[in-house]
Amino acid sequence: MSVTSEVSTDDNTITIKISGRFDFAEQNEFRDCYYDTSPSENTQFIIDMSGANYMDSSALGMLLMMREYLGGNAANISIINCSPDIKNILTVANFQSLFTMD
Amino acid sequence: MPTVLIADDDIPNRLVLQAILERQGYCVLQADDGVQAVDVFRREHPDLVLMDIKMPNMDGYEATRQIKAMSTDAFIPVIFLTATSDSEGLARCVASGGDDFFTKPYNRILLQARISALLRIRELYNTVQYQRNELDNHQKRFDREKQLAKRLFTNITETGSLGLPYVQSMLSPMSLFSGDILLAAPKPSGGLHVLLGDFTGHGLAAAIGALPVSSVFYGMTAKGYSIAEIVTEINTKLKMILPTDMFLAACVIDLNPGSHTLSVWNGGIPSVVIYGEKEQDIIRSLSPRHLPLGIASDESFNQRVEMIEIRQDDRIYIHSDGITEVANPDGLMFGRQRLEDIFIKNTDSAELFNEIRSELIKFQDGGAQQDDMTMIELRYNQQQLEDTVFHDKAQSKRAEQPSSEWDFSMGLSADLLGCFDPLPLLIQSVCDMQGFRGQRQQLYTVFSELFTNALDHGILNLDSTLKGTADGFAKYYMEREVRLSNLTDGSIKIYVAHQPSAEGGLLTIRVEDTGSGFDYQENQISLESNVGHSGRGIQLLNTICEKIEHMGNGNIVEVTYRWR
Repeated sequence: MSVTSEVSTDDNTITIKISGRFDFAEQNEFRDCYYDTSPSENTQFIIDMSGANYMDSSALGMLLMMREYLGGNAANISIINCSPDIKNILTVANFQSLFTMD
Repeated sequence: MPTVLIADDDIPNRLVLQAILERQGYCVLQADDGVQAVDVFRREHPDLVLMDIKMPNMDGYEATRQIKAMSTDAFIPVIFLTATSDSEGLARCVASGGDDFFTKPYNRILLQARISALLRIRELYNTVQYQRNELDNHQKRFDREKQLAKRLFTNITETGSLGLPYVQSMLSPMSLFSGDILLAAPKPSGGLHVLLGDFTGHGLAAAIGALPVSSVFYGMTAKGYSIAEIVTEINTKLKMILPTDMFLAACVIDLNPGSHTLSVWNGGIPSVVIYGEKEQDIIRSLSPRHLPLGIASDESFNQRVEMIEIRQDDRIYIHSDGITEVANPDGLMFGRQRLEDIFIKNTDSAELFNEIRSELIKFQDGGAQQDDMTMIELRYNQQQLEDTVFHDKAQSKRAEQPSSEWDFSMGLSADLLGCFDPLPLLIQSVCDMQGFRGQRQQLYTVFSELFTNALDHGILNLDSTLKGTADGFAKYYMEREVRLSNLTDGSIKIYVAHQPSAEGGLLTIRVEDTGSGFDYQENQISLESNVGHSGRGIQLLNTICEKIEHMGNGNIVEVTYRWR
């Protein structure tokens, strides 16, 4: 039930780790992870789902907000380490066309 | 200032108390005995009562009981004044409703402290009481407004035609307003459009988004637009009005009894399942190909529709993710596998829908509903689909338009034919000019057959015998799409004329293409006797129109349609 973020200074990536349920309750924590960052053009955002066991459609909405905030099509966001259930939710919504997924 | 009632038969006692209280600024009321105390209380509504125990006529216990009984919805502290401190007597004070007791002789400072403490509690109680009443009123008003909105919502979204003999559906919203929507509307050309949608979130916000969706869906379906055009329009509307984090996962299908086809546009809804009656098993699963509606911009929106052949009695299942996410009391989800197992184990396809429903309820086992649950089953029955009557409300209002004389023509060049469907515009114009009470569906069929023949065979040179087999069928439509997108030559001219008659009028429609035509004299007989897929068009026109005439080298066809 938490969201943490890590900034790696050397290779210009920001990793956001999600654990537990990824839903509306995490909205503020999640937003804070990218709101106050000052990303340069080639900053890569990585959302690490290895600890997440569930996400709902409001979490999909939160991902869309993040993408828009970081420049829409110009945003560089990867979603990694999805469990099969989470991957299914993302692919049913065809989010692989908006985010880089492994 | 708060008012304090002193009930005591001992006058010197009362005077001492009165002096202490008035010095603190309280208003003081007095009573000689229990009866008078109850009486004064009823008239003056004091904020606190000091009660002696032993009084003539009515003792302090009884007076307290009556006072407490009178003030059930407010907190009026009663402090007993007692000379003794025996525990049994004090217990009786509390039992009769007293809130505190005070032992004579009076200590001014202590008495003052006890009174203010109780008045503070009274203040707190009153605030809570007031807020509870406010909340209660708000709740009632909100419920009333919700009920009203719900009725409006139902009127707008449910003008469709669920309740058809070949359709079964369940909608199980988790709150008063569903974030899921299920719409169905017959097409003017015969057949049915269905939309199953799932908004982000539930409740009122989701329901408001449903209103424009249903009005676009019903409006455009009635005018003869294709599902590709309908989803494009809904996407544009939702993109404009919805905040970034809200969208509509939606699956829109077109069931077409004329060509035995099912067309699907699926953005974010779990796979559409086709259950074969012959195979008694799942024969196709159409996975979501697109982003949900309201996310993509107009330029990047993908309106591509998948088309497959559908056979008599095959069943189509569409459901929202609320179905597979139903959780049991332990928090375990129903999941896709359990749903598939029901299809695999089933032995009577007529019972499939009920089985799924009862398995869901059994699994949920009284667990709380987490999401809206929506599911629809459509059994493909050509006859029933063709018999689904199209009610054109807008049209019947203008029924009394006088029959008049008019004509117009329209020419479409190759580049336009590749990207524009003129049928909705044509039907709309013709019906606007003449009214044609209740005949829109037939007119649509006539225009659609004539135009499709000219385009598919005249311009695109497609071989309709291809459609004879299941395999060729898909090939036909794939080839059609390829040729249409590469089209550079050719054009179609449409001429429409109307002549009034005594009982109605005579509509002449002439469609001319630049193709090479065909030997219509030679083919006339075989066309009329042909009952396969490819001959259905001409047969259908024969039953609707008074006259069908081929001209030129077969590239011109003219029909006469008489209406009353």
